Amino acid sequence: MSERNYWQRMRRQRLSRRALLGASARAGVGAAGLALVGCGDGGDDQQQAAPAPSPSAAQQQQQQQDQPAATAQAQQQQQEQQAEAQAQQQEQQEAAAQAQAQQEAQAEATASDMWGSQGVTPKYGGWIVEQSANVYETVDSQRTVASPVLQVLARVQSKLLRFANPNRGILAGDLAESWETPDETTVVLNMRPGVKWHNAGPGAANPAAAAGRDFTPGDVVWNINRQKNKVLEDGTESPDFGRSSYWGGADVLGLTEESVTLQLAASDPTFILGLANEFNLFNQPELTIAYEDSHTEISADKVIGTGPFILTRWEPGEGISAVKNPDFYGLPERPYLDAYVWVQTFQDPNAYRIAFEQKQVDSMTDPNPNTIQAIHEASGGETWLAYNGVANTVAVFTPSNKDPWRDLRMVRAIDAAIDRRQLIQQLHSGFGRVSGPVTWMQEAWALPDEELSTFAGYRVDKDEDRREAKQLWDAAGGSEVGQIDWVTSQLWASRAAWSATPGIIATMFNEAFDTDQFNGITKPYLEIIPSWNNNDFDPFFSWIPNIELPDARPEILAAFGTGGGSNYWEISDAWLDDQLTDALQDTDYDSAYEKMAEAQRYILERGQFGRNICYNYIVPVMRYNYNWAATTDRAEGSGWNFLANSVHVFEQWLDTDDPSIQGREPEPPVPL
Amino acid sequence: MQAYIIRRVVGGAIVIFMVGTFVFFMMRVLPGDPAAAALGLDAGSTSSEALNARRAELGLDKPILQQYGDWLWNAVQLDLGNSFQNRANTVWYEIGRTLPYSIELGLLIVLVGFTVAFPVGLIAAVWQDRWPDYVFRTLAILALAAPVFWTASIATLAVLRLELFRIEVIGQPHLWNDPGAAITWYLIPALAGGFAGTAATMRLLRSQMLEVLRQDYVRTARAKGLRESIVIFQHALRNALLPVLTVMGVTVATIIGSQVVLENMFNIPGIGNKVLTSFLGRDYPVTQALVVLIAVFVVVTNVVVDLLYGFIDPRVRLA
Repeated sequence: MSERNYWQRMRRQRLSRRALLGASARAGVGAAGLALVGCGDGGDDQQQAAPAPSPSAAQQQQQQQDQPAATAQAQQQQQEQQAEAQAQQQEQQEAAAQAQAQQEAQAEATASDMWGSQGVTPKYGGWIVEQSANVYETVDSQRTVASPVLQVLARVQSKLLRFANPNRGILAGDLAESWETPDETTVVLNMRPGVKWHNAGPGAANPAAAAGRDFTPGDVVWNINRQKNKVLEDGTESPDFGRSSYWGGADVLGLTEESVTLQLAASDPTFILGLANEFNLFNQPELTIAYEDSHTEISADKVIGTGPFILTRWEPGEGISAVKNPDFYGLPERPYLDAYVWVQTFQDPNAYRIAFEQKQVDSMTDPNPNTIQAIHEASGGETWLAYNGVANTVAVFTPSNKDPWRDLRMVRAIDAAIDRRQLIQQLHSGFGRVSGPVTWMQEAWALPDEELSTFAGYRVDKDEDRREAKQLWDAAGGSEVGQIDWVTSQLWASRAAWSATPGIIATMFNEAFDTDQFNGITKPYLEIIPSWNNNDFDPFFSWIPNIELPDARPEILAAFGTGGGSNYWEISDAWLDDQLTDALQDTDYDSAYEKMAEAQRYILERGQFGRNICYNYIVPVMRYNYNWAATTDRAEGSGWNFLANSVHVFEQWLDTDDPSIQGREPEPPVPL
Repeated sequence: MQAYIIRRVVGGAIVIFMVGTFVFFMMRVLPGDPAAAALGLDAGSTSSEALNARRAELGLDKPILQQYGDWLWNAVQLDLGNSFQNRANTVWYEIGRTLPYSIELGLLIVLVGFTVAFPVGLIAAVWQDRWPDYVFRTLAILALAAPVFWTASIATLAVLRLELFRIEVIGQPHLWNDPGAAITWYLIPALAGGFAGTAATMRLLRSQMLEVLRQDYVRTARAKGLRESIVIFQHALRNALLPVLTVMGVTVATIIGSQVVLENMFNIPGIGNKVLTSFLGRDYPVTQALVVLIAVFVVVTNVVVDLLYGFIDPRVRLA
């Protein structure tokens, strides 16, 4: 409930627009919350202009009616002075409240709090070795859809804003030192002075790079317009820009040496959060233009950034490394580490285990929590665990846009028959929580567990769910459909811990409907993905794409809104469209939450329209004690649920005095 | 002899051509889109236009026969194209990067396998139905029954738990630039692969030796008063080797199969590792080239084995 409390606290500190404008110059850390609750509150404006009469004012009004006209003018003047004094007093109180809110938010976002509250003082120096993928499809952060590219570039490039606490939606400045929201559709980004593009490394040595030059507001405009227009330098349109719809609603309204002003086409309180989205990294224009034609040929000399690390090696399948940027924002206190090293993904868990147990990599995870637990217990107290919620939501996809699933009763039957809690037990050893249309990781927008468990498919009494599922199945003539092949992605089933999934899913439905129609099969994503894009997919069970923001509204609108970017079911429901659009544009959290909750109830009553969200699992990540990766609380093992790179890149450090570092190699495993 | 070699080379070339053609079309018959492969889990949010653009970039928008013709013509000119997954890398670069690791591991597996198989097979035959025979036969059955990944896993756990030595899985050393690190890296896979390869060779050698040792000419040799070592190594072993040599040719193909598993288990960036990852990622050019390369290797090995027949047994004439 902590996230909910955060949003509620921000509501209590709601500010009038006038107060917001007055203090906007001071706005900085935590302004995402202000943007969510402060803008567009018309009622506040009205209240400021005409405050409600106090009992004394009412008495004065009565007296005024009884006074001769000669004295009425003097009294009116006095009354106006009193009203003005009251207004000024109220404004001062609001300004004070805002200042307090900002101080609290800033305190939450201040990096030193993370380590100070845990009683440790970070050290400087050293390197961290992590595993990464073998395959990268591009060097261009704006033309990728894959997390591995971002895992590397998050250390090298910057965003306008970043998450200081992604679980709670707390923002901090990045390229923009602070930001203001003077009205519902205007965002002013005050750029950080003195930021320079990398002046070292193979990228900086590239003749096409203007290495070491100042980062300018013009660079911001170039990056925004490139994505918005989806046009390359040679004038050709490229379909690769995955965030074009995000930037499509924004225009650059003004540009000075210190700031960039954006004009939104419509009120969108989630826009500011999107600036910290992991995909919103900023490229250097000159170098990016030079390699637009060969962006799929991976090489470290094609990338520089303004981030805390300089890319020195990017050879897929061999190794990747990045070293500390000595001139990072002119802040000598960041980053703590001298270097990051990524080694190629271990195709087999055996190699990964060897690498971790012999301290060749500094962290390890595995789909099977029991494996991690066993290695942790065998480590003799040298390791610690962090439990991270995984942003890849697990779902059953029922193709409600084609027969026989067009019958909503069939879809509702499937949704009711899914035994979510049992799946968490069987596949994840209990490490997970059921999720509704909005996942538990976006708790500020999700239905509470107590309410969720009243809907079919989520009841604790699974027999009741099964009875309802069977009734719906029979009523819709499900038994006459014939054999149903239920697909599990091969990537999922390739994990040893999950290899039995196709059979588990088939058995789950067969038992619920008292039939033998369901058959579990596997298919590669290579086959599934094109069928998604064509809205012509077979029913399947697997992950769905990443959660990208703590605010669930854009994602839900994209999934359920008519023509939405991830509406693979071709859902078109006028009530839902209006409700979700209203919720998205609502700047009052309570009101927006109610609209979202109502939409979720509507969706759940309709079997989620075939987008049958099941759960989000939790993965323990094991690290050696010397590896102080940023967590919310190391003692409790509470890790970030998603967007963790945003925090790790600034806060991770290495404790060279910790006894667990014994046995670690004195040199990095690959050349930096 | 010359005519025989020419016949075998031509026959081998036909086999390689057929393998190449087969793998080319099979890769395209298999479900899966190479353009989507590189996009991974998040590709659900990719637009159809982006996927089509990627397909065009990879040349997959052309008719399949045209693709085949292009590939064949380029392959004849030794132009194998670029990897689909790592566009900066030519296929030749990928081969050059991965082949040395596979050669190193393969040689070590062969070394372990045959240096164990020969003495053990001989000892088991010479001491038939005595305790060395029973022990080695039991071990051979165990080696045949145990999958190579199981043997390797058990050996790994033993090394980790007993902290015997450091297994290098990141630095990727070669035998020629860091022999110490390379040996510790290759040791477990070489032992596991060699152990598996030993069993069949050892059992065949034992049975061949037992048969030969009962031949009249061996009895005659012993009656002439020759030393037992000369009887065993010069008279018996040489005649027992022919079928073993045939099996060795087949064993090489088996070793390549086990290398796919072992290279993945120990993060060895060899041909076996690469052929698996490129196949799963539908990296057509790399998969095709590596499968053809393996076919070339198997064909050449078998030609060499055939030629060795004549060297070992002059009665065999390769005409």
